[in-house]
Amino acid sequence: MRFRSLSHPRRALVALAAASLALAGCSSSGGSSDAKPGGTKDYKGKTLTLWHYEGADSAMGIAWNQAIKDFKAKYPGVKVKFEAKGFEQIRKNASMILNSDSAPDILEYGKGNGTAGLLSKLGLLTNMTDVVKNYGWDKKLSASLQTTARYTKGIMGSGDWYGVPNYGEYVMVYYNKKMFAKYGVQVPTTFDQFVSVLDTFKQKGVTPLANAGAEYPAQQIFYELALSKADRQFVNDYELYQHKVDFHGPELTYAAQTFADWVNKGYIAKDSANLKAQDMGNAFEQQKNPIMISGSWWYGSFKNEIKNFDWGTFLFPGNKMDPGSSGNLWIVPTKAKNKSMAYDFIDITMQPDVQNLLGNSGGVPVAADVSKITDPKNKELIQNFDTLSQRDGLAFYPDWPTPSYYDTLVAGVQELMNGSKSPSAFLDSIAKPYHDYVAQIGK
Amino acid sequence: MTAVAGPPSTTAAVPETAPPAPAPPRRRRRGPVAYAVYVGLLVLVAVFLAPLLVIAINSFKSASDFAAHGPLALPHGWHLSTITRFWKQVDFGTKLLNSLEISAAVAVLGTALALLNSYAIGIGRVRGRAVFLVFFLMVNVVPQEGLVYPLYYMAKQVNLYDSKLAVIIIFTVIQSAFGTYLLSSVLAEFPAEIIEAAEIDGANSWRTLTRIVVPMSWPTLSVMFTFFFIWTWNEFFLPLVFLISNDNQTVPVGLAVLQGQHLMDVTATSASALLGVLPALLFFLVFQRTLTRGIAAGALK
Amino acid sequence: MTLSVSTTKSSRAAAGPRPGRRPARRNARRGVRRPGRRGYSLYLLPGLVLSCVVIVVPVIANVGLSFTSWPGVGNPEWIGTRNYQRLFQDEDFWASFRHTAAIVLAMAIVPTVLGLVLAAVLFDYVAKRFSSRSATLFRSALYVPQVLPVAVSGIVWSWLLLPDGAVNTLAKDIGLGGLARDWLGDPNSALPSVLGIMVWIQLGYPVVMFMAGLQRVNPELYEAAEMDGAGWWQRFRRITIHQVRPELYVVLATTTIAALKTFAQVFVLTRGGPGNATLVPSYFAYRSFFENADVGYGSAISSIMVVLILVVGAVFVRLQTRADQEGRR
Repeated sequence: MRFRSLSHPRRALVALAAASLALAGCSSSGGSSDAKPGGTKDYKGKTLTLWHYEGADSAMGIAWNQAIKDFKAKYPGVKVKFEAKGFEQIRKNASMILNSDSAPDILEYGKGNGTAGLLSKLGLLTNMTDVVKNYGWDKKLSASLQTTARYTKGIMGSGDWYGVPNYGEYVMVYYNKKMFAKYGVQVPTTFDQFVSVLDTFKQKGVTPLANAGAEYPAQQIFYELALSKADRQFVNDYELYQHKVDFHGPELTYAAQTFADWVNKGYIAKDSANLKAQDMGNAFEQQKNPIMISGSWWYGSFKNEIKNFDWGTFLFPGNKMDPGSSGNLWIVPTKAKNKSMAYDFIDITMQPDVQNLLGNSGGVPVAADVSKITDPKNKELIQNFDTLSQRDGLAFYPDWPTPSYYDTLVAGVQELMNGSKSPSAFLDSIAKPYHDYVAQIGK
Repeated sequence: MTAVAGPPSTTAAVPETAPPAPAPPRRRRRGPVAYAVYVGLLVLVAVFLAPLLVIAINSFKSASDFAAHGPLALPHGWHLSTITRFWKQVDFGTKLLNSLEISAAVAVLGTALALLNSYAIGIGRVRGRAVFLVFFLMVNVVPQEGLVYPLYYMAKQVNLYDSKLAVIIIFTVIQSAFGTYLLSSVLAEFPAEIIEAAEIDGANSWRTLTRIVVPMSWPTLSVMFTFFFIWTWNEFFLPLVFLISNDNQTVPVGLAVLQGQHLMDVTATSASALLGVLPALLFFLVFQRTLTRGIAAGALK
Repeated sequence: MTLSVSTTKSSRAAAGPRPGRRPARRNARRGVRRPGRRGYSLYLLPGLVLSCVVIVVPVIANVGLSFTSWPGVGNPEWIGTRNYQRLFQDEDFWASFRHTAAIVLAMAIVPTVLGLVLAAVLFDYVAKRFSSRSATLFRSALYVPQVLPVAVSGIVWSWLLLPDGAVNTLAKDIGLGGLARDWLGDPNSALPSVLGIMVWIQLGYPVVMFMAGLQRVNPELYEAAEMDGAGWWQRFRRITIHQVRPELYVVLATTTIAALKTFAQVFVLTRGGPGNATLVPSYFAYRSFFENADVGYGSAISSIMVVLILVVGAVFVRLQTRADQEGRR
């Protein structure tokens, strides 16, 4: 009833919104089920508009450049309009862009409920379930990788395919071999050994862990600690809302307590609370801290930039699960103009030569032939990921449950670090927004 | 124009109230207090310029140099490669041209629009002018986040989403509103006899505006022009929303490319900062000249 | 101000009555009235039309949206005042407005006062005792932060304020090691640090504005005062401040409102942290709009800000018009 009393601009606005939704609905129903691989497709004179935001020197950038070349070779006469985008712009404005005529044919986008899930719920992404089966991509991706590609009502885990991942990512421990040798420390294989390594460094006056409290690193360490006491069901409850999460249960209490302990003991510098991720990376590169717990996305940069000491990686000792997931997804907007071209391009990125190139350039491919990976360090990186993926050890990320949870966790962990909240109070402060959101979405 | 109640330098047209032809400035004795003040100012300036210096030194570092020594160390070897690599990667030339186009357009159109508005309010003394003043001030200060969704839908309707024209129109309105607020109090003090003399000579309001008011308000107009240019150049939020194609993006938006999801290309960001700042700095230095010239011209009258 | 006005009036009077003039000059004090000139309203037309389309309509739409729940695509769902109810119970909301008060201090009051003093020092003191060129150079240097994009200067300052960054290193080197701290990470020093950086950014604007205004001042006023034995401070108080009153209003109004709208600096320096120690309303709204896809909630915050800013703006314009009228008597 109040609806009718809307002022003119509001009515127009609502009408516009309704119209665009209708349009979005229209184009998603047709066109996706008749995309098949192979055959002689003629794309002569057509242009594929492709966006992504990976650096040109990164593993993905290199691999996808090759994919563009392969695409042009396979379909003579086709043009590819590639635009390198800024992550912030895409993340913030995705719904606006994809809801307009400026939407590209294919773009890279974030995985998870708050990103791809949200867009799929808004009807902005093409349902690619049939396409995926036709091209056989589902055979190349392990079950745990598929979790982030399939969404039902915006929640990942099952349902229709809305994106296709091409690479993977996970959190591990980077370590400075030179400093380990200098202080006579061995690579730990159990959690207790890991703690004693931290302690050794601390006794010698070195803060062992590089950290950044103002961005994602600190919360990922916290999550890693929780995972050391968690099982798959916990992760499913936390990320997929299968059951109610007890924020004072053993996993999270242990994590909060241990994290606070590590700050008190000086394993994590208290004044890293306002550092950004880049500062943490810098600290590791400048050998201020010998150990850095963070993601595989640093690997390529470290390879390019660290010249004066030897370094390596190992999985977090004692954990069956680590933060990690498929990498970002290729998504095809419902307003894309050249969908079958987009699907053929995705297929090319899933082919062995592109996947192997991704692996050899320092990335983590999802479907590479490990025997073709030449550098032993890269091989180790990829093998660790495969191990994790095969044992269903990818536990996603702590900030995925709600769209604003990233900020909640950053703020909460900062307060935990500088002591303004006790572990118990911290857990309360992150529990409330979580439960509020879950109630709001009707779970 | 009298020297009363008018914001930035309006001494250009001050027949009866201009300071008399200035006597050569008497150099005062420089006591120790004077030197202390000077030194204090130098320290202040050093603090003010320090960040610019940090940007400059990081623009010439190679990536591994930055990795090894951090942002605050001097470069070990000066590399132009960072700057050239960044220029190509971001297609900086196009971004510069876009920024120039948008900022210049807004500066010109905004000043013109402000002039028209202020003419009506300050000299024309239209009824309800206090209300108009508040209105225009409000237009300038409305927070931008709230405007975005409605503007986006409106722009899509007229096919102006992802276009420079949309950005130009929006900023012209926003900046000219501030200009109106500023210029109308200046024009309110415009000497009445000159207007009336023109009227008597048979000039209509348009002639009076173009032949008399504009030349005499030149210093204020050029100050506005400069402010509008610099402010629009540095705008980030609305261009981020409306300029999607890489070909349309301005410098601040284009630079956002360097900030990845997890990593940031630091040396390239510094290089970009340096290059992005130069045009605005240049503009400001030019503004200094106009300002001083405007004053001198006024004093001679 | 008083001096110039009387000069104007006296010269006008001295000119004597001119032939062919309209006899009615009742409102000589309030400026000249030009009755019957309806043509002037037309000049307002383009400005008003554009402003309505580009600003007024969206603002109204924004207020309307604040009563809905909407992710940005599809149909907004009417929920009445629920957004506002949620807002008033939100601790972050109140925190952000508390911080705004501090920011107004740092971005409006301190730069204006400091800017005025600096402008006077540069214009009056330095220019006379050294050279006007050095005064101009100082002014340009002080304006540089205004020209740098906030995103960039924010990053640079975050490097300088790192626990092992230049500021702490310098403090230790000159023996003030006790001052060294985790500037942006310690909740006690985070907001003051951000405020300090805001002063750095904002100071150039008042300095430039005031120096321009000071050039209007008749130097004979200063010389006369000096001959009467007035010291620098007295000259400053009696003459300088009085003369730049118009600039003072403009600068205070614009910087206050800019302070209310602060977004970029917080976004770059601390993202509102640690905790919510540096959260501000604009950033709070931005998060709702663009990170949480909760357009209705963001619109509620924006609408409140618009009302607040409207009130502040109206107050300033009122004060300024009244001061103008007083000045003219």
